This record gives sequence, structure tokens and C-alpha cells, in this order.
Amino acid sequence: MTRASKTTATILLTFCVLWSLPGAAWSQQGPPPEAQEQLSDPEVSVVLEGRQRSRFRLAMPALQVEGGLGPQVRSAAEQLEETLRTDLDRSGVFDVQGPMQLSVLTLTGSDDRDFELYRSLRNELLLRALVRQDQGRLILEGRVYDLASGKVVLGKRYRGDPAIARRIAHTFADEIILYFSGRQGLALTSIAFASDRSSFKEVYLMDSDGANQRPITAHKSISMSPEWNPNGRELAYVSYYSGSPSIYLVDLTSGRKTPVITTGSLNISPSFSPDGKQMAFARSIGNGNAEIFICNRDGSNLQQLTHSSGIDTNPAWSPNKREIAFTSSRTGSPQIYIMDAEGANLRRVTFEGNYNDGAAWSPDGTRIVYASRRTGSFDVAVADVVTLESRLLTNGGGSNETPSFSPDGHKILFTQKRTTRNGTTTQIFVMDATGGNRQQLTTQGNNSAPVWSGFKN
Amino acid sequence: MYRKSLVTVWVGVLAVSLLFLGCPKKKPAPAPEVIELQETVVEEVETPTPPAVIVDEVEDPFSEDLETANIAAYEMGLLGDVYFDFDKYDLKPEARERLAKNAEFMRAHPEFEMLIEGHCDERGTEEYNLALGDRRANATKSYLMSLGIPAGPIEAVSFGEERPQCRESSEACWWRNRRAHFVIRGRQGG
Repeated sequence: MTRASKTTATILLTFCVLWSLPGAAWSQQGPPPEAQEQLSDPEVSVVLEGRQRSRFRLAMPALQVEGGLGPQVRSAAEQLEETLRTDLDRSGVFDVQGPMQLSVLTLTGSDDRDFELYRSLRNELLLRALVRQDQGRLILEGRVYDLASGKVVLGKRYRGDPAIARRIAHTFADEIILYFSGRQGLALTSIAFASDRSSFKEVYLMDSDGANQRPITAHKSISMSPEWNPNGRELAYVSYYSGSPSIYLVDLTSGRKTPVITTGSLNISPSFSPDGKQMAFARSIGNGNAEIFICNRDGSNLQQLTHSSGIDTNPAWSPNKREIAFTSSRTGSPQIYIMDAEGANLRRVTFEGNYNDGAAWSPDGTRIVYASRRTGSFDVAVADVVTLESRLLTNGGGSNETPSFSPDGHKILFTQKRTTRNGTTTQIFVMDATGGNRQQLTTQGNNSAPVWSGFKN
Repeated sequence: MYRKSLVTVWVGVLAVSLLFLGCPKKKPAPAPEVIELQETVVEEVETPTPPAVIVDEVEDPFSEDLETANIAAYEMGLLGDVYFDFDKYDLKPEARERLAKNAEFMRAHPEFEMLIEGHCDERGTEEYNLALGDRRANATKSYLMSLGIPAGPIEAVSFGEERPQCRESSEACWWRNRRAHFVIRGRQGG
């Protein structure tokens, strides 16, 4: 089990290009770790078959510290441990047993005996994390043991500035999630949203776990409806700062804002095509008739796709680029329709509820989520775009609106508006795509229109 | 002792002679005139001079700054909001009556550039309300045009549910938020 013999590969940092850009807004979690190494080749492969539906029970005792830590590194280590545990717990892949649950065990210091003790609490896996300090740098060594065989199945070493402890934890968590579930983890992704916490509505970003919430715009006007360019480097959004609602781009590396469509009285609800080259949006023509338009990313080549006397708005481009979902009141009440990206082959998707809006596609393009009003207020609904079968994923508790999928399709963001003694409050929540395991991500001000970034590669 | 008695005598003589000297001056004289003069002075002080503020109040508020003009137009009932039903943008009879008065004001003040804001209550979705507010503002603008108001100086903008008049979750509040609101936003050529 010597470390040197197990170290086989140094992983090249695939995100070093983004890291080198100064002041990258999304990377305020910090640059990637300076080094990460594979500590061992998996000696055994855990049998995954048939396990997709239940969680792995993972023991995660308190972080071990080797040598003394300075106060800054000590607090970074605490942050790292907390972030790692939260990421694994929220992933839906693991049922994490922390120091509290494990405190009933009297560990002996002998692996054979201790592994048996962990197993006695029905744990299948053990995560041992060790932290030490080296020339002001934080070093994390993490090993995941298969408790049945007692072998290390995943081992990693990370080294980086203590200031990026959260990012180191996210990176390791994503590695563990990928190994045990076969899917890319969300820990390093970001969420864009709008918030009025500064008394003006501005566009914000946060990490996928709700940490690190920071404003991207400071127009002191109304700025809203952010949408990711699938390249992850810019957002389209709507702002009133020049008078009427217009569409702008903000580069997340430089913070630079560029107007896209500013002529006319109403340009709203931008949605990028999956290649990032075009945008669909709603634009008012004539006497206040919103229609769906598309244009190039820079605002050129404007084309009108819908021609109805009803309101047509809130387009969402499908992941395969061939279709656009949108909301139309052409039959009287707002309902969701899908047309192809040239504006032909229109079909209605929603039939239940008297008010449906805000379609967002699943990454595989088979489903849409939207806000559906079937009784007094909205609930998040999901519909199969082929069979058109739909079901509700929330059940009241407030008005549940503006849902959108995580890039892996396993999570859904949405907002919930509730009336409290102090008036109404709108907050962002995340839940499993099946509707359970709900967590609140925001608390300050009112928050709206959350959208998840793609994976950060 | 002799000296002391001499002084006493002299003081007494002086006092008696002073009494006789004062008496002849105490005759009825022009005293009432002095009193009258004093009264006149008091009257003059109490007379209010008209302050400059009064002069301003009678001036035309619509020649003042835009904020004053907006407040005055609404307070004097020359401009008023029009209200809509939930998820609707058609103008009800009372809305048309209100717009006829607004049109009168706009005819009397062709120098004003107007902004019509379309607003919605919180019950719809944020994105759809932006498009609905646009309909409300433009339906209002179209009706004014049908009354002969030129479109040029009128701009319509939707605020969706972003700028509610009232923030309680009840119909008593919601109906006030489903409105088209008028703002004098400038003067033509100015």
C-alpha cells in the first residue's frame, strides 16, 4: 500500500485553458488544483449491476490531518470536508454516514477489524481523506475502499492553494460520483439566476450547491432571464437599462456586456441553439404582438418563426437543434407547443391545466419540464415529448415555477413563491428529476429563473 | 452739631421748592396723539405681505419639471390608469371612459411625449407576463390612436410583474397591478 507504487498517472488538467483566463467569473471557486494524481489503480471493480436505483452506503469518518496545519489551511480543510460530504450526499449516488453516525464505533486502528466495524453499520464503502500542508499548499489524499474486499478502488491526490479548497473537494467528489455511477458529477457546475436582493433585479451566479452567490450585472435597473451559451463562457439576458426590455450578452471571463437585440419595444426570453451560434427569443411586432424570432448570436440575420394573433413567447431550443418549444395563447390560454426550428410542423404539447409556460428540455431531448397551473397556483410538470404524457413533480407548498434540468438530467431547478407573514418570497430549489430530495439554494431577496450550466470541461 | 442741622434745613428747602417747580408743567398736553401714532405702527407690522409661494401655485404645473407635471396630471384626474381582468388585455367600458379623459389631456398637451406602461399581477409566470404587459400597453396605445391621438409621441413598454403597485397576495391588491399606467416622459423637441 505504499503511495509511490500506487501512483501511476498524473492527470492532465483539462480545464487549464479556462483557468488561465484572469478573473473568470464562473471560476470564482478558484483555479483547478495544481496537481492531481491517481493514487492507485483500482484493484477490484465494484459490481455495479442492478445498483442504479439504490444508493451506496458510504462511511466517511472525519478528515485525518497529518502534521500541523496553519490556521488558514485548517479552515480550508474544514471547508473541504464539509463540501465533499455535501456533494456526495446530494449526488443521489451515496448514502453518506458521517462522523456522527460512526461515533458509535470503537475503532481499533487495525484495518481488518475497523472495516468489519464499518460493515456492521451496513456500510459498503469507506472514504478516508487525509489532509496535510506543504509549503503553504493544501494536499488532499482521498481513498475509497470497498469494505467487502478491503481494497482501495479509487485513490486520488490533489494539491492546491488553500483558497480553492472547495474546488478541490468538488473535483474529488465528481471523480467519486463518476466512478460509482458512470455519470459526470455536477459539483463543478454553476447556476445562473436573477435576484432582487440588492433592491434592483440583477443577474447572479452560484455554485451548484448554492455556495458562492455573486452578481454578474450591476445595471441598477431590471435585469433578468439569464440563459447559458452552451460553451459555458457567456450568458444571454434581458435588461431594461436602456428603457425597454432588450437582449444582451455578458462574457463571464471579462465581464463585458454586448447588446444583441435592442430595437423595438420588447425583446425577451433568449434561448441559445445547442451549438451556441443562434438564439431564439420573443419579440413584439405591430401593436404588441409577441412572436418567436431567431437570430445569429450577434443579433444579425433576424427571422420570424411564428405568425399568430395570440401571444407567442418563451422559446426553448431542443438539444438536437431541430425543434423549438414555446408558449402560445393562440387557442385562448397559454399552452406549450413544439415546432421545428424553421417554424413549421407545429404541435401542441400541453392539454392539462389552463396555464402552462416555461418549457425547458431534458438534456436527452425526450422530456420537457414546465410550470403548469391546474388548480390555483403553479406546479412543476414533466411531459414526454413523444407520448405527451405528463405528470406533476411538485404538489403545492407555494407556486412552483421556471423549472430547468441539470446537465446530467438527474436534477431539476425551480422557484417557489410562498406567502409568509412578511409578504411573498420567491426562492430557488433543486430536486431530483423524479420530484424528491428537495433542497433550498437561496435565501436572500427574491430569486428567479434558475438555469444550470453545462459540464465544465 | 450746628453744621448738621444746617444741612437738614437746606435739604428741606430744596425739596419744597422742587415740588413747586414741578407742578406748573403737569397740564393736559398732546399725549393722545402719541398713542395714536403707536397704534398705527402696530397695524402696519401686522399687515401680511403676499408671499412669493402663492404666485407660484396659480401657475401652470405643466410648464414645470416632468415630475411635477406627472403628479399634477394624476392628482387633478387628467390622467388615470386603466385596469384589466386576469390574463386579459381587452379594454373594458370603464377603461374606455378613462382613456377618453386621458386623450383629452393629451390633446390639450400635444407637447408631451407619453409612456404607457403595461403591468401584470404576480399570479401569471414572469416570462409570459412580460408579453402580456406588452399587449396591455399596446391595446391602450391603439385605443388612444383610434381617438385621434397621434402615435408618434407615445411609447409603450411592458414591465410584466416587475413593478407592482401593491405587494399583497389578494385580489384587493392584484386588480391594481393589472394596469396600464401613464407617464409624461418628455417634451417634444425638448
